[in-house]
This record gives sequence, C-alpha cells and structure tokens, in this order.
Amino acid sequence: MDFAWSQEQAAFRSSIREFLATHLPADWESVAHGPGSEAQTRFSREFCAKLAGAGLLVPHWPARWGGRGADSWTAFILAEEMWAAGEPRGGQYMNVNWIGPILMRFGTTEQQERYIPSMGRGETLWCQGFSEPEAGSDLASLRTRAERHGSSYRINGQKIWTSYAGAADTCFLLARTAPGKDGVTIFLVPMDKPGITVRDIPSIIGQGDIHEVFFDEVDISESARLGGEGEGWSIVRAALYMERTGIPRFALALRMLDRAVALLRGVDGLDPDACAQAARARTACEAARLYSYRIVDQRHHGTPTGPEASAARVATVSCERLVAEFVVEHRPDALVGGDPMLLAHHQRAIVAGIASGAAEIQLDLVATQMLGLPREPR
Amino acid sequence: MDLTLSADQASLATAIEGLAARFQQPPIDFRGFALVNPELEHELSAAEFFDIAAVPELGPVAAALTVERLARLPYAAEVALSMLVRPHLPGRWPRPLALVENGGPGRFVASARTVLVANGDELGVALVPNDAAEPVASIYAYPMGRLTKSVAATPLSRKDAGVVRMWLRVALAAEAAGLIQAGIDKTVEHLIVRKQFGRPLGGFQALRHRMAECAVLAGGVKWLALKAASTADEGDAAQAAFYAQESATRVTFDLHQMLGAMGMTLEHPLHLWTYRLKFLLSVLGGRGAHAQVVARQCLV
Repeated sequence: MDFAWSQEQAAFRSSIREFLATHLPADWESVAHGPGSEAQTRFSREFCAKLAGAGLLVPHWPARWGGRGADSWTAFILAEEMWAAGEPRGGQYMNVNWIGPILMRFGTTEQQERYIPSMGRGETLWCQGFSEPEAGSDLASLRTRAERHGSSYRINGQKIWTSYAGAADTCFLLARTAPGKDGVTIFLVPMDKPGITVRDIPSIIGQGDIHEVFFDEVDISESARLGGEGEGWSIVRAALYMERTGIPRFALALRMLDRAVALLRGVDGLDPDACAQAARARTACEAARLYSYRIVDQRHHGTPTGPEASAARVATVSCERLVAEFVVEHRPDALVGGDPMLLAHHQRAIVAGIASGAAEIQLDLVATQMLGLPREPR
Repeated sequence: MDLTLSADQASLATAIEGLAARFQQPPIDFRGFALVNPELEHELSAAEFFDIAAVPELGPVAAALTVERLARLPYAAEVALSMLVRPHLPGRWPRPLALVENGGPGRFVASARTVLVANGDELGVALVPNDAAEPVASIYAYPMGRLTKSVAATPLSRKDAGVVRMWLRVALAAEAAGLIQAGIDKTVEHLIVRKQFGRPLGGFQALRHRMAECAVLAGGVKWLALKAASTADEGDAAQAAFYAQESATRVTFDLHQMLGAMGMTLEHPLHLWTYRLKFLLSVLGGRGAHAQVVARQCLV
C-alpha cells in the first residue's frame, strides 16, 4: 500500500495543469458559471477538440477509438484536474466517462462508428434521458413509451431535469417497450428529430443546465436501439456504476475552500470556530478523495467494486456541503457578484446529492450491502 | 498510488486476523468497563508484532492496520503507542507506553514502563519507577491510571516532539478507526435481531440511514489513518486525528441510541468500544488543536 504518486502519474498531472494554464482563457471562470449555457457549450467544443488533439480527452479509451489504453488512475487524474478547474469539458465529461465506454461495450458496429469517433474528437454533446416527472429515484417506474411499428419505434413521453438537453446533439434515452423493469429499453436519439421539444427549467444551479424534454410521436429507427428490448436496465446499471465515482467533486471543493480562506486573509484570518469549520470541510474532502481513490484502485486491480462506491458518493456529498456552507457563512459576497468560481462551486454542490442517484439511495445500498441490515419492506 | 496490500502486508493481516479471532469474544459474565487480557499481550509480544513498523516489507501502514484490527477486540491493549509511536522516540524505551497530558489521568499509565509527558507544547519521555503510578477507577473502558509523583522526563527537542506528536495523532486515528468499526459491528448485530413493530429495527429507514452514515465515517477514519501512516506528513496526521475525533463524537452517540436501553447496560458490550472512544476524544487537545494544525498545514 502506497499513497505516493509514481513519477509517471505526477508527470501526467503536470502535463494537464500545463495544458489548462495554456488553454483556459482569462475569463474562463465567468464562463464556467453556466455549465449548460450556450457560452460554455461553445467553449467546451473548442476546448475538448484541443484536448483531443493533445491526447488528453480520452487517454483511457482503446487505441481503436482514439485513446492509448491508459489505466484507471490516468483517467481519474485527468478527471480530478478537469473538475478542479471548473470542468471546462462541460457536459462532454459524460461522453468520456461512460457514454463512450457503454457504446463500446453494448453498441452495434454501426452505432460505434457513428457516435464514438466524434466523442473522441470532442465534437459532440449528449444528454441522458433518465428522470421523468413520476420517475426520479424510482427510475424503473418510468413511463416514456417506445412502441414498435415495423422496423421503427414511435416514442411518446416526457423527461425532466435533463442536463445539457438544450444544446445536446444526441439523447441516451430510457423508454418503456413493455411493463416492468424488464421492459426498459435504451435508444440513441438525435435531438433534431421532429417531435422533440426542449424547454429550459430556470434553476438555482446555473444557466441552461436542466430541461424538460417532450417526445411527441418521435419516430426512430430500430438501429437506434442500444442492446435488445428490455436490456435497458442492465445497461443503465452499468452506466450508473461508472458514473458513481465519475466526478471527483472533492477536487473543486478543495480548491474553493482554499480560495475562500485566502479571501479571509489566510489561516491567520480565521477565528477558532472558523478554523474548526474549515478543518471539518478539509478533512471531509480528504475522506471523499481517499474513498474515490479506493474505488479507482479496485478498478485498476480488476477487483469488483462493492458498496464502497456508494460510500464514496455519500462522502463526496458531505464534503461538497461543508465547503459550500463554509463559503456561504464566511464569504456571503460569493453569491452576490463576488468570486464567480465560488458561486459556480456553490451551484454544483447543490447537485451533488441528487445527480446520478440520490444520496439516500446510496445510504440504502450501504445499509444493505455493506452493513447487511435487512431491507425496508416496500 | 496503490491502495492494495502488498503480499507481505496481506500475510501479516492474515496472521493478525488469526490471533484476533481467539480474543474476539468477551467473557460472557464480564460486567465491568476496562477489559484486559495478559494472554493477548503475551502473544503479541512473543510474535514480535510490536515491532512490525520497523520491518521494511511491512512498515507503518501495516502497523496502523494492525492497531485498527486489534482495537476491534473487546480487550483494551496497549498497542497503538507501542506500534506507531515507540519506533520514533529518540533511543530505545521499554513498552508498555502511556501518554500523560497536563498531569491528568491517562490510559495504561498504571502499567506503563515509559510515559510520554505532555505539558502544553512541551513533550518529554520518562521511565516510570515502580511506585510512581497508580490505577484510577473510571467508566472509560481503558485501564486508567495517573502518576503519583513527578517523573524525570527527558525533554524532546522541538523536532523530535513534532515527529512524536505526529505519530501520536496517527496512533489515535488508527485506534479510533478500529473502535468505531467494532462499535458499528456490534450495533448491527443488535439491529438485525431486535424486533419492534413486528420487524427488525434494521429494516427501518430512519435507523438504516443513520447507520450507513456511521459506516461511511468509519471508512473515512480508516483511510485517513492509513494515509497518514504512509506519508508521515504532519497535515495528514492532523487530518486523521481531527476526522477520527469528529466522527467518534457522532458515532458514539448514534450507536448507543440505536441500542436503546440495552445500550445503557454493562450486559451489552458496546461500551467496551464506545467508552474507549470517549476517552480518545480529548487526547492531544481534541478537535480544536488538530484543526489548528490542519488549517496551517493543509489550507492555502
């Protein structure tokens, strides 16, 4: 067991930091304020193309798809540095983390050829059509229907709280082809299909981020189906599993905690209460980081990842909250036109316990799978 | 970065597990606070487990893991300071070790052959003469004791004191990690078998989520302790100690609450871990002192 980075890992991290120092414009932190905004989406397309050119967009993908087969640590170091910088890849982080790998695993050759290369070049944005008005944590109860008509499907229904839908090129859509959990099927739906309507949902979490998406008699070819009918749930479980530790939120939280303390004239400017509060936030971030590293290490060694992934999510939610609370209490100006990155962090921290499965679902998994407590009757 | 045990560390963990298994159950009729077992002490000593931190193939991480595992036993044994602090004292000092802070009572003081004497920022080390310490009755689940007369402590240099204080924090965190985990394990057993309203307590979401939060804290305490043992960094050690005491504060309350009235009795053994934890809450100045170090070493 060794907590030190290898020379190669340290050099890789340095190379990313150098890239960021060179390619992030001076006003980047103002742009980062709206992760799904037109400005960030436009910026991210240019930025991701440059990342791809430098071999830093998908280094962990196989060479066939533009990567170099780098290990799990490399992918996570990259994710840490991107998130710490405010995630200049915007919504494209999803392509890199799980949509691309899911298509490599479950997609047809045609689907792979159509979608993966443009992801690897940083040219395309996806959204995930998961949550519905009546299906949030209970995702399996989703109602959006996909009815077969010959060699095509007709989709009707509504998705909600869909990130990046306003600018996305394609939707990773969950729809029902039959009743029950075994009736969920995935479709890769171009967002310019007739019958799709996207409405922005004004939100606390940043401009242009979440949306309602309506599907009204949307015709989609059978070739847009990912996997077989009814295989959606097992595919989405694999996707959620990849997503669960996909965002190293502690990395930005740590940076913003440092920034807030610096704005308070450094550690000497903290009274004992504020000092304890800062230490609480700092150690919570460290705990979240180590939990995440543990998951990465398990993947690196090919060891099955158990409920520790859920524990990592819970720890991450906690550290995000503590940092955000520290900022609001000690630098309230951050939310009234102060440091834009402190505001952006605050907004992203709101999402931490909700996106990719509510924290309470993770607690339930920890209770059942880690502690062995009996399930609650449903 | 590699968070998987080496083959040597894994072998040691297996050996420790085998030893621990023989001491896993407290005597069924024990109704006291501090449970000790000379046989455990003898076996650890005979197998030279107290010196594993100095073995290059094992190192301080293996020692911290061992401290964590042995803290999960119902028996209180002077393990943490011997395994993690003693190797960093200037010169060779006999074990058992104890820490005496500002003249107050401490764990294992009555049986210690060496005491670390902390007064404010000063730290010294002393042999304990035969008649210089006595046991103190306590509801802490350690054998508590105090010095009855002043001992001739050799002051540690500023540098040595910093190193020793750092390892004291690592030892505190590693021990707390095991105590928290054992307390959780015992409480889970209760939540599975105890039924109210016709079903196990562990099936009620209000308790499931609280226990899950405790479990997440426990894992964090362990990982922070292991990292600090690996890096020997002052900031990492202070973070580990802070997080351990912070988590223990929450977890000790929650675990006794989960046990209801059973948690007030000496019949259930939960106190054997939680009342060790409660003593550890104040060690080395408590959270406030560690927070100062965390802020100076880890922020900005």
